[in-house]
This record gives sequence, C-alpha cells and structure tokens, in this order.
Amino acid sequence: MSKKIVIEPVTRIEGHGKVTIILNEKGNVDRARLHVTQVRGFEKFCEGRLFWEMPVITPRICGICPVSHHLAAAKAGDAILGIKLTPTAERLRRLLHMAQLVQSHALHFFHLASPDLLFGFDADPAKRNVMGLISEVPEIAKKGVKLRGFGQRIIEMLGDKKVHPNAAIPGGMNRALQPEQRQEIMEGIDGVIDDCQFAIDLFRDYCTKNPELMTSFADFKSAYLGLIDDKGNVEYYDGKLRLKDRDGITEEDGLDPADYLSIIEEKVEDWSYLKFPYYKKMGYPGGMYRVGPLGRLNVADGMSTPLADKELQSFKKLSGNGVVQGSLYYHYARLIEMLNAAEEIKSLVEDELICAKDIWTGSSQINEQGIGVIEAPRGTLFHHYWVDRGGKMRRANLIVATGNNNLAMNRAVYDVAREFIHDGNVTEGMLNRVEVAIRCYDPCLSCSSHALGHMPLEITIHEPDMRVRQVLRS
Amino acid sequence: MKTLILGIGNSILGDDGIGVRAAQELAAKISDRNVTVCDVCVDGLNLLEIITGYDRMIVIDSIVTENGEVGEIYRLRPEQIYPPSGFSVSPHHFNLATTLEIGRRLFPGEIPEEVTVFAVDTEEATEVTEEMTEKVRLALPEVVRLVLEEVSAPLAKR
Repeated sequence: MSKKIVIEPVTRIEGHGKVTIILNEKGNVDRARLHVTQVRGFEKFCEGRLFWEMPVITPRICGICPVSHHLAAAKAGDAILGIKLTPTAERLRRLLHMAQLVQSHALHFFHLASPDLLFGFDADPAKRNVMGLISEVPEIAKKGVKLRGFGQRIIEMLGDKKVHPNAAIPGGMNRALQPEQRQEIMEGIDGVIDDCQFAIDLFRDYCTKNPELMTSFADFKSAYLGLIDDKGNVEYYDGKLRLKDRDGITEEDGLDPADYLSIIEEKVEDWSYLKFPYYKKMGYPGGMYRVGPLGRLNVADGMSTPLADKELQSFKKLSGNGVVQGSLYYHYARLIEMLNAAEEIKSLVEDELICAKDIWTGSSQINEQGIGVIEAPRGTLFHHYWVDRGGKMRRANLIVATGNNNLAMNRAVYDVAREFIHDGNVTEGMLNRVEVAIRCYDPCLSCSSHALGHMPLEITIHEPDMRVRQVLRS
Repeated sequence: MKTLILGIGNSILGDDGIGVRAAQELAAKISDRNVTVCDVCVDGLNLLEIITGYDRMIVIDSIVTENGEVGEIYRLRPEQIYPPSGFSVSPHHFNLATTLEIGRRLFPGEIPEEVTVFAVDTEEATEVTEEMTEKVRLALPEVVRLVLEEVSAPLAKR
C-alpha cells in the first residue's frame, strides 16, 4: 500500500544570505554586515582526487555559473600539465566562455535587475519581479529567455549538457564543433547582437531619466581589478591583471594572474564565512576592490569588438577620469559585456577553423602547482591547485568572483542602510534598497562560500549592545 | 502522456544528493518510452529548458524541515513548499514553484501541468562529501518505490 504523507506547511530553512545592521546610541547605523554561511570541507574533499576530475567537481559548487569553474579548473590543469592549448582548443574554450557570459548576464539583467529598473525600487514587490515583467512587458522577458537560451544551446553543443557541461579537460577540449552546429550559431547570432543592443538602449534610457539616482545610490570609490589583453581591452579568458586605485590611477599592470598572491590577501572576519580579499598595498579595509563588469570596464581602455567598444567609450565619459563608481552602473557595464561577448561569438564562428579537429595537447609532465584564472561573469576567479607527482590533489584554494567584492558589497549595504535608518527609525523602502544594492553585484553566494541553497534576504537590526531591535524579511 | 522524473540534488553535498541517486536507480528500473528519467544539479531558471515538453513531472529532492524527522518522505505539490515569488536577490531565489509559474506564462502549454514532489527530509547540507547519512540512505529504496508507484498509478487515483 502506498504511503501518502502530506505535510503542510513545510518550511525550508535556508540561511545563507543575511544582513545585520548594528545601530549606535543615536539610533543611526554604526555597522552593516552581509553574512554568508559556509559549506565545509570542499578543500578536504578535493584531496586525493586527480586534478583531471576538478573540471567536473568544481562546477558543482554552483548551479548558476558552473562553466566558469569548469574553465578555471581546466586552465589550472593545463598549467599542471605545462601545455599550451592548440589554436582550436583555445577558440572552443573562448566560445564556451562567451556563451556563458551571454546567458549569465542575460539572466541577471532581464530577470533580476530589470524589474527594479522598470518598475522603480518602491514598486509593490508583488509586481516588481520577473512575473510582473512577464505581465507588463512580456517582450522584454522573452528577449531575456531567448538570449539565455542561445548561450545555453552553445554550452550544450560543446559539452552535452546546458549546465555542468563536460567540454574542457586539462590539455584542451573533449570534442570538436560540428559544421551543422557552427551553422546554427551563425544563423542566430545577429538577432542576439540586436537584442544585446536593445538592452543597452533600454538601460541608457533609464540613466537619462534617473541621473541623480545613478550617482547617489551606493556610490562610493574603490579600487578595481580585472584581466586585460595586450591592447588594454577587457579580456575574459586569458590576459594579465590590472588594478586601478580609487582615483583611477593604475597601481598594478601586466601582472601574471598566477602571481595574484603577491598583491591580494584574504582577511577572515569572525562574523562571516566569506573571506575578505583586499589589495595588500592599501591595507585592510582600505584595499577594498571591485571585480566583475564594473571592475573590468574601469581598468580597461577598450573592448575587443566594435559595437561594444563604442559603448564603452560612452560609458567612460560618465566620469572625469574614466572610472565610473556608482553601484547601479554595474548593470550598464554588464550589458556592454553581454554585447561584447555576443560579438566575440560571431567572430569566433565566422572562422571555419572553429570546426578543426586538433583539440588537445598531451604531456607527460606533472607540475607541482597549477593556477587557472578567468574572468567569470561576476568577476575574477582563481583556482589554485597543488598536486603530488601522481597528479593527486594535495590542496586547492579558490578565490571566487563574488568573494572579491565582499568588502564592496558590505559597503554598499552600509551606505544604503545609513540613508534609510535615522534615530532608530527604519524608513519604508530600506529592505528594497538593500536588495537592489546587493543585486547590482550579481552575487553568487553559493560560489563564494561554497554553499548551496536559496537566499531569502533577512535583515536584523541591533541595538549597540546587540539586542535585536527589528527583523525584516523579503 | 509524457512524464519526466527529475532527481534534483548535489551529489557532493551528502544527503542533498538523494534526489540524484533516486533518479539513477529509477533510470535502471524504467523502460517505458513515455517516461524520461533525468538527474540534475541545478535549480531555478536552468530547469526551464529541461522541463518543457512534458505533461507530467515527478521531482525527487531533499528538504529541510523544522519539525520533521530525517528520512521521512513527503509527497507534495510545489506550491506547498514555497509560494511562487519571482522575487530575488540572486538567481538562487528562483525556486521550483517560481520556475513553473514563469514557464507557464512564457511557454503556455509546454510546461507539465501535473507536478508532484517527493521530498526526503534531511538536515541542512553543510559538509562536502559523497556519502549520505544513514537515515537518508535507508530512505532511498522507499522513495524509489513510491515514485514507481506514482508513475504507474492510473489517472483516476491521482
């Protein structure tokens, strides 16, 4: 006899994203913190595994941006093998990477950010979400789905699955692109580029209508970090690190990403499991830096493709020194990148050599360490592996994209909270705005703390003695 | 009637992998061509493309409850677990009910109308391991049996 047990209601207890606000005696904001709980043991779990498995294991950190981990792990594996990729393998890796950039940025803009922008931060939450988008402006929602679908389809072509593909392996790729697949991409890409341009125009329209908001919402200075190519363009797959300080002065340039530890250190705070990377030279917390779309566009001089480059030059004019600091500008930067990635896809598949068969380089070497660095949609991602002579993992250190932004996200939350809490009173709309601020950074808290789960936002407001004054939940 | 059996979970997060393991066992036991068995380690909108084109879907997943017993199995509708919210700070917020709602609005007629979730009660997964805890491991054959029964039950009973 079948056992039918219905429980209602059941509560899924998740607690991975939480904000704590601590007031001072006057009832104003003293400190604000974004907490992330942690999943333990990832490094331990990797010990004894073969480095060949890492491109398959590490994507399981996250179901949102697994391809970034997949690629960074393969790159670290390339370094352990001491090989150089064949031109075809590199093209295919880049194609995979650009496809995931398009789909990730499309998901974020169309489904997460655009409701805030289209309906206003204070619009009824019941409408200010993707459902509202689908009801009010279904054509925009559909564009998002189409862009995402296009990116996913390329990922599936290269790796058999749309999420957690098996495509990149240490040494190269495990399959070539077929001519009919190339054809399919070429048929869809112009429409995709048009849709990316549409999104940028939409956002520019928003900036024009809300000029003060753009420069007053969570607007603060920070340093910026990103990979650039030898022409100073934004580079997502390879490249060298450049860091600009809070006034736009280039402090580090041409740094081999494998040497990241020479400029970056991670601080541990006892109230969050997510570590706080900072630029060593400027100390902690002054060495706060931002990565991701805003970070990349701010450190670069140009974009590798014509339409995106034109947009970047307009973007840079928003600020006197070409460094644009307001948190909301993350959205604009994200869209310019999406366009850049779409144009790059076109350029990669236009060359029929993308279907060549030389996709892997072998080696009998096993180096003691390998570092794979890549610009994931959310920022610079570092995979650092140490292996023994048999290729078994001894240790892994991952600095995940969102982790780089930890200090900045906390600062954004602090700035917003300060504006909305006075004399112990929380103004209507604070919860919304804290969420909007966090959304700018498109955080992947799963990755950053190696945790999994949903994240309803909970904000707890404390008296100076830490007694709970108020709890707000989204 | 095309049915999708979807095991959701992360097989390197201990008990969270129960859905994936159940799906793997079911795949070996089911030969009906109208039934597709799939295991995935994704959530949210990534599910959309996977679930289109089916009339019925059976999901197997882990669930953390306040008062339940680890190893218990619940048969639920997605809306009983969380209301469709569409509201999120991160893509991780798009729970199953929300994904279904979005799918039905964007692709009417292509998303399964009938969705049943078999949720196995677990603790919060905080340890990276491929091993499940004992109570959850013992629940595996039962959840497999329940899903097989569900798949073959005639329409009237459902």
